[in-house]
Parts: sequence; structure tokens; C-alpha cells
Amino acid sequence: MDNHLQIEEIKVKKQTNVERIMGFIVPIVFIVLCAVGYYLSELPFIFVLNEVIIRLGRNSFLVISLIIPVIAGMGLNFGIVLGAMAGQMALIFITNYSLEGAGGLLIAILVSTPVAIVFGYLVGRVLNKAKGKEMITSMILGFFSNGLYQLIFLLFAGTIIPFKKEGLLLSTGMGLRNSVDLAGVRYAMDDIIKIRPYPGLTVPVFTLVVIVLLCLTLTFFLKTKLGQEMRTVGQNMHIAQVAGINVDRTRIIAIIISTVLAAWGQIIFLQNIGTLNTYGSHEQVGLFAVASLLIGGASVTKATYRQALMGTFMFHMLFIISPMAGQNLMNDSQIGEFFRVFVAYGVIGLALLLHAWQRRGKK
Amino acid sequence: MFKKLLALLMIALLVFSLVGCGSNDAPADTGSDAEEADAGLGFKIGLATSTVSQNEEEFRAAEKMVAKYGADVIRHVTYPDRFMQEQETTIAQIVALAADPEVKAIIVVQAVPGTAAAIDRIKETRDDIAFIVGNPHEDPDLITARADIVLDVDQLTRGRSIVEDAQKMGAETFVHYSFPRHMSYELLSQRRDIMKNTAAELGMNFVEVDAPDPTGDAGIPGTQQFILEDIPRQVAALGKDTVFFGTNCAMMEPMIRSIMNEGAIYTEQCCPSPYHAYPGAFGIEIPADKAGDVDFMLAQIRAKVAEGDNTGRMASWAVPASMAMVEAGVEYGVLYAQGQVDKFDEAKMAQVLAEVTGTEVQVESLDGLPNFLMFVAGLEIF
Repeated sequence: MDNHLQIEEIKVKKQTNVERIMGFIVPIVFIVLCAVGYYLSELPFIFVLNEVIIRLGRNSFLVISLIIPVIAGMGLNFGIVLGAMAGQMALIFITNYSLEGAGGLLIAILVSTPVAIVFGYLVGRVLNKAKGKEMITSMILGFFSNGLYQLIFLLFAGTIIPFKKEGLLLSTGMGLRNSVDLAGVRYAMDDIIKIRPYPGLTVPVFTLVVIVLLCLTLTFFLKTKLGQEMRTVGQNMHIAQVAGINVDRTRIIAIIISTVLAAWGQIIFLQNIGTLNTYGSHEQVGLFAVASLLIGGASVTKATYRQALMGTFMFHMLFIISPMAGQNLMNDSQIGEFFRVFVAYGVIGLALLLHAWQRRGKK
Repeated sequence: MFKKLLALLMIALLVFSLVGCGSNDAPADTGSDAEEADAGLGFKIGLATSTVSQNEEEFRAAEKMVAKYGADVIRHVTYPDRFMQEQETTIAQIVALAADPEVKAIIVVQAVPGTAAAIDRIKETRDDIAFIVGNPHEDPDLITARADIVLDVDQLTRGRSIVEDAQKMGAETFVHYSFPRHMSYELLSQRRDIMKNTAAELGMNFVEVDAPDPTGDAGIPGTQQFILEDIPRQVAALGKDTVFFGTNCAMMEPMIRSIMNEGAIYTEQCCPSPYHAYPGAFGIEIPADKAGDVDFMLAQIRAKVAEGDNTGRMASWAVPASMAMVEAGVEYGVLYAQGQVDKFDEAKMAQVLAEVTGTEVQVESLDGLPNFLMFVAGLEIF
């Protein structure tokens, strides 16, 4: 009898050890893949490090903007594309009035906020009508709003909306050009505090501090009454309703916060890139931010800023080293590109699978 | 648990077997030129092009340059097929080229969105690199401020010449396929307007048709399917003497095939060249010894057009424009790295272009932007 018990105990112990390893399986697989990829890519270490820091600085904010709707039970908000559009509109606005530097950027942030609030409110209203189908609805809203965005900037710009800066409009006088030079605000935020600890390495300290502050604010916010209400709504809308929480209002607020953060995130992203691709910059935002968050281990029902940061780091690490790794591995730049697409997106799939395994294991 | 571990083991095996197989392959033999080059050049040229799925020519021209100078001298990378979405990857690819201190010139054809941002990034740390870009997607003002030389086919002159040529080939109606994103390209929208005016002058009908954007939700297949379905419709409505023109590379293959079937008229591709879309549309195979042989290709296309009974109604440039940009860019880059030429020298660039194309090429710069060089070459009617 005793013996039997002991064996049982050992079994349990063994399982917990394996489970402990499984708990870190995604980071482990990623670290192995990144190490192999880094070795194959033959890129200088400083270059990779620099690139990762830059990408963390410019993408984290956007990824973090996804967290609140997840907590409020609305899934992944592909509607951040609208927030990104609001950010871009503000940047076009300041370019038109030749506002430059950190001041210009601040104005862009101020201008983008009300626009993003309106967009967020509208998205929230629509999503409240489509409860349970928020993700696909927000994705389609993104496509739809892209059409409106093109209509506004290709047709109304110059005809209904006046533009005064030369070189912003097409020479026909109607429609905005396909790229806008943001030289005036390029690095406006990164440069506030920037250190170069090593040749070839630049750390935008200020931007990183802002991201840390955002994470702290988020943690604090979730402890407030409104934050707790969002959690409740996320867990069970019906119970929340019975408990006297205005579910619809809470959900709209969650989306508004997400959209506003996305607008600011896009401004941070573009001040780092330095050129605005008028009709393309926002397209990539939704999918890549969502992919980053999911790789970090978030699900459609649970997300933390740690997962957001971790995910951004891993996703971009892979995107930095995979092109050169693919090319060197295959000895052909073209097959390298196909291989990169296969590995990069394959690994995203793998990460999702591994996370699903983990969750099943926990149950 | 066993299954999980097994799956992980399989993944690990897969990765390591790929590593094992791949890295042992020695680079393909690049011939004696390459060996000479390896021995003495002492510099490298960075080259970024598309893969074959977007536009094959640039990639083939790049391969030719790698074969000529050796893989150690020409560092060839490709930008993503989904370049509108993966702009950050484009930037990283180009910036990674400059991480090698021996790289003295970087050539990007086509200069997709992100090129300007990448040049900005590189210029923060390096000022010795010459940037030569071809077929820019970003705004002329924006890209000329950053790149040293910008090459493009003369879109504005083409606005006139395409319509005139079409009329000579018997066209009564001109159909222009594009989509809003392309019409936000300064030169493409100007060209469209010039075409419209020229058509009016010559007494031709001008029909503008909106096609789906290949970078949109339906992707390249969506655009191609639309072209395949729409051309028969247009021919049924407008008659056989209709000339079709599209602004996007992915449209060209289905367009050529449908025009051939319907017996309509085709003057030239968006990126004019005998190699662009014609081989794919007609299923022309290029034997290894004929690679890069323009005359062979022209003869093959002529035979296929005659087979389809459409002689005199299909055409293209005899000079492959995108290939010329890649080759001229690399040759100029080599001259720059050798210290024989400055970052920008219009006369020298014109000379290099003439050398690589083997014909006379008219080079002009865009109004107010001296380093935006545009060229046109003659039409070859099959």
C-alpha cells in the first residue's frame, strides 16, 4: 500500500517537472529558433540588438493597445486600424501646417485623440450590436474604414478639405500623394532622451520609458473601479449586467481606450520610420500587432503587458533574422524569401499551437 | 506527454536537418569573372530586388550581376512579396546591407515603400554609400531627396507615346486599368491624365476601369481574375479595336492572354520589356544558352503572336527597362566604389544605361529634380 502511494507521488512530481518545462515551452522554442536563425543569418550582433531595440520602441505601444478590449471580453481588436488612421490623419495635419519637432508631435497626439475617440465610439457601438462576433466584425470594419479613408484622402483632399502645403497634394490638385515626408517630426520623440552606449547601438530611452509608464498605468487602471468592471464584463456579461454594471457603456469605453492608444502608437511608430505611406501604413497594423500579442502567450480572453512585450520582442526578432537566415540556408535570395515567409508565419502558428497545448494541460 | 515530446523532437530534427543540408552547399560556381572579382575588388555592392513572384526580370538581372561579379561582391537580398504590409522587413533588409562596412553602393529596384526610410536610417551612420534606386513607388520629391540617383522609365512621355502608338496599331478605344492606390502615385496619375488628353486629341475613346488592388483583401489572384473576366466583357462592348493598358505588373500576364484570345490590341506593359509577362503568358521557355538573349525572346514572341493570329496588334519595348535599371545601377555602383565617378553624374549614368541596353537611350530628368532620371526606348511591334 505504502509503496503504491510512493509511486503515485513520484509520478505526480515527475509530471510537475515536465509541466514546469512546458510552461516555458514557447520562449524555449523561440530562443532555440532565434539562436539557430541568428547563427545562420551571419548578421553582426550589434546590428540585431539595435534593430530589436528600435522595433520594441516603435511597435510595443500598438501591441499594448490591444490589451484592454481582450480584458473586457471583446477579443482582439482588429479595429485598431481605425486608431492608426486617426494617428495618420493627425500627422498629415501637422505636416500640412509645417509643425515640427517634439511640439509638433505633441500637437499630433492632441489632434489624434478626439478623432480616435469618435472612431472608437463608433466601433464600440457596432461591436455592441455584434456581441460574440467582435473579432471578425472589427476586422471587416478595418477594411471598410480603409475604403472611407481612401475616399477622403483621394477624392476630398484638395477639393473639399483644403491643403496649403505644397507637395502634399497630387499635381492634379485632388488627392493626397502616396507618401508624406515626416522629416519634421522624425525621431521627435526618440530624440528627447537617446543614448548611444556603443557604436552602432542607439537606445531611444524616452520612448522606452513611455512604454514602461503605459504598462504601469495599465496595471493601475485595471485596479480601479472601471478596470474591475471591465474584468467582470469580460468574464460574464450577463452577471455583470445583473450586478448593475452598464455593460454596453463599459465595452464602448474599452474600445475607445484601445483606439486612442492605437492612434498614439501609430504616431510613435511613424515618427520613428520618418515617412508616411499614406494608403498603406495602417494596413499592416492590425494583423502584426495581433500576431505579436498572441505569440507572447495571450489568448482572446486573457492578455497582459508582459505577454505584449515578450511577444513583440519575439515576433520582431524572428522577422529581423529570418530573411538573411533563409537566404544563407538556401543559398538563394529568392527561396530564402519563400523560406522566411514559411518559417516566420509557421512559427506564429506553432506558438499558437503550443499555447493551446499549455492551456489544455492546465485544465 | 510522450506525443508532445515526440512532436517537439520532430520539429527540432526538421530544423537541424535543414541547417545541416543547407549550409554545406558551396555557392554555385560563378565562373572565372567571379574569381577575378573576388581577388581584387575590395568592396561590395548591395542589391535589393523583388522575388520572381512580383516581377521576375529584376531578380533575373540581379542573378546575372551576381554571376558577373560573384556572390561575394554583389550582396543580393529580396524584399517581401507583401511589401505593402511588411515595410519594416524591407527597411531591415536594406539597412542590413549597410551593416557590412565594405558595401559602398546600394541598389534597390523596385524602390518599394520603406526604401526612403531605410536610406534615412543608413545615412545616420554611413555617408560613403551611393544609393541608386529604380522604379520608385514613393513620391518623387521624397525619394530624390534621399537617393543619389533615381531611375525610372519616362512615365510622362509614355503617357503620350502609348496612346499614339495604339492609334497607329489601329485602336479606336483606350482602356486604362488601375486602382485608387496607384492613382495616388504622382507620376502614374499624371500619366493617366496625359493619356486621357492625348486620346481626346486623337479622337479616341478613353475608358477608365477600376480593378481590385492586388495588395488588398483579394490579393494578386483577385486582380488577375478580374482582368481575365473583364477584358472579354470590354471587347464585347467596345469592339476588337480596343487597346488595353494596366498600371500593375500582376495584371500583365492575364491581360496578354485575354487580349490574344480576343484579338484586341496591346502596346506595352506597365514596365515595358520583352521579358515581362510575355514569356509567362505564352509559355515561352528559355533554354539556358539563350538566357538574356533579347533577340531570341523577340523572335519567340513574334512566332507566338503569329500563331494566335494577332500580328501587328501586340508590342513591347525591345529593351527590358527594369533589367536595364538593375544592371546600370550595379555597374554605376562599381564605378563609384572604384572611385571613378561621383555619387551623381548624369552623363555617366546615361552612358552606362546605353552600354547595358546596347542601344541609344534618351535620358531626361524630371522637372526640378535633377537626379530623377527617366528614359524611353523604341517600340517593337510583333
